[in-house]
Amino acid sequence: MRANQIIFASIATLMLAACGGDQQQDKLTVPATDSTAVIRSERTKSIFHNIPSPMETAGLLKKAGAEYDRNILNDVKNVDNYTAASKQALNLGIYGADLSYASVFNNTQESMLYTSCAQKLAKKLDVNNAFNEEVVGRLEKNRNNRDSLLSIISETYWHVDAYLKENQRDNISALMVAGGWMEGLYIATQVTKHHDTPELRQRIAEQRLPLVDLLELVKTYSPDDLAIESVLKDLEALQVIYADVQMPSGNSTVTEENGVATIGGTAPTASLTDAQLKMITEKVATIRASYIN
Amino acid sequence: MKHLIPILSVLFILALPAASQAQCRSFAKNKCMPSMAPYKFNETFNAAQLAPGEEAEVDLTFYSGQEYRLLVCAHPILGNVNWQLADAAGNALFKSTADDPKDHFDFKVATTQKLKVHIDVPAAEKGGNNMLTVGCVGILVGYKE
Repeated sequence: MRANQIIFASIATLMLAACGGDQQQDKLTVPATDSTAVIRSERTKSIFHNIPSPMETAGLLKKAGAEYDRNILNDVKNVDNYTAASKQALNLGIYGADLSYASVFNNTQESMLYTSCAQKLAKKLDVNNAFNEEVVGRLEKNRNNRDSLLSIISETYWHVDAYLKENQRDNISALMVAGGWMEGLYIATQVTKHHDTPELRQRIAEQRLPLVDLLELVKTYSPDDLAIESVLKDLEALQVIYADVQMPSGNSTVTEENGVATIGGTAPTASLTDAQLKMITEKVATIRASYIN
Repeated sequence: MKHLIPILSVLFILALPAASQAQCRSFAKNKCMPSMAPYKFNETFNAAQLAPGEEAEVDLTFYSGQEYRLLVCAHPILGNVNWQLADAAGNALFKSTADDPKDHFDFKVATTQKLKVHIDVPAAEKGGNNMLTVGCVGILVGYKE
């Protein structure tokens, strides 16, 4: 009887884990054995490092006056070249950022192409639980409804990120996030070559903040993973360039403007000199080329 | 059968974190995300299984020119949690306490800056039941252009 109970509990748990999360159960009660009680009695702290999403970055670029340029995106033909898991993860982030960029700028045809690339890599990475044919079908069905399209892309990115994390594949998630962030910065810097505005420079300068978080995130895994180690070096090289970029610090006052709480006063915005922009543009292009080739 | 039991027991233990995290995703999607409307969800998954007495912290970059909704969503099994938004120097900008809970804070930043969200689950009262309660806490960010 006891053996049957263990087998049943094991199979049930494995099935629950494999199904990946559409269960309605959302709490877990674990018997407090001595060992877990000891672990839990210490005041543990979970620390997250949050990087702005590709969709938010693409939206910021559009607001800053960026234009759409399909020629700067990763060629869809490259998708079959990525055989190593680390390259697949980096380029899942890159194609995800390209997908966000194309969709925010309402380029449906390209959105569908990049959806296909991202889904192909998700499948190779065994994340098709979160990004499957059903998602592609929904995207296809809503291709002419920009808001729905953006919403489905955001939700899918969230599911992929969550799925990787809940299956202890945080290193793959970190690579995907790093690839997506790098592609966003690459797009921004390439756009400034033909459309240089103070607003775009400001958004590029502000990437100094998430770069710190991305570094912290990637550092979590560096000792055990060569691909992560390599990305860490890339990010550190970028941080050296960003070290001279002036970021105004906001103050801690909270006021209300038109019914909305506003944090900070009228500090100047971040900006880049020509030399800084050139250095960042060149460095990002070199790093990004090493990821997509 | 003799060999099967230890193998399945090990698999059972290994699968527990994934199962509980999957439940956390389901909780965040079904119970937290709907409260984000009309803000666009920012796609990043920040959720953890916490027990009474535990804390979580997340650093977030907020851009000028956008309106944000910060939503902290804890499973009812944990009761109300304490959470606050603080600036880089640690000055509290918004607080929600277990006694006076608020699930979200809508705001914008005049200057792009990094802010920190700190959450702590109040410790269970002494003499409670002997089951260790773990529940999902989600930290969600939405934005409006």
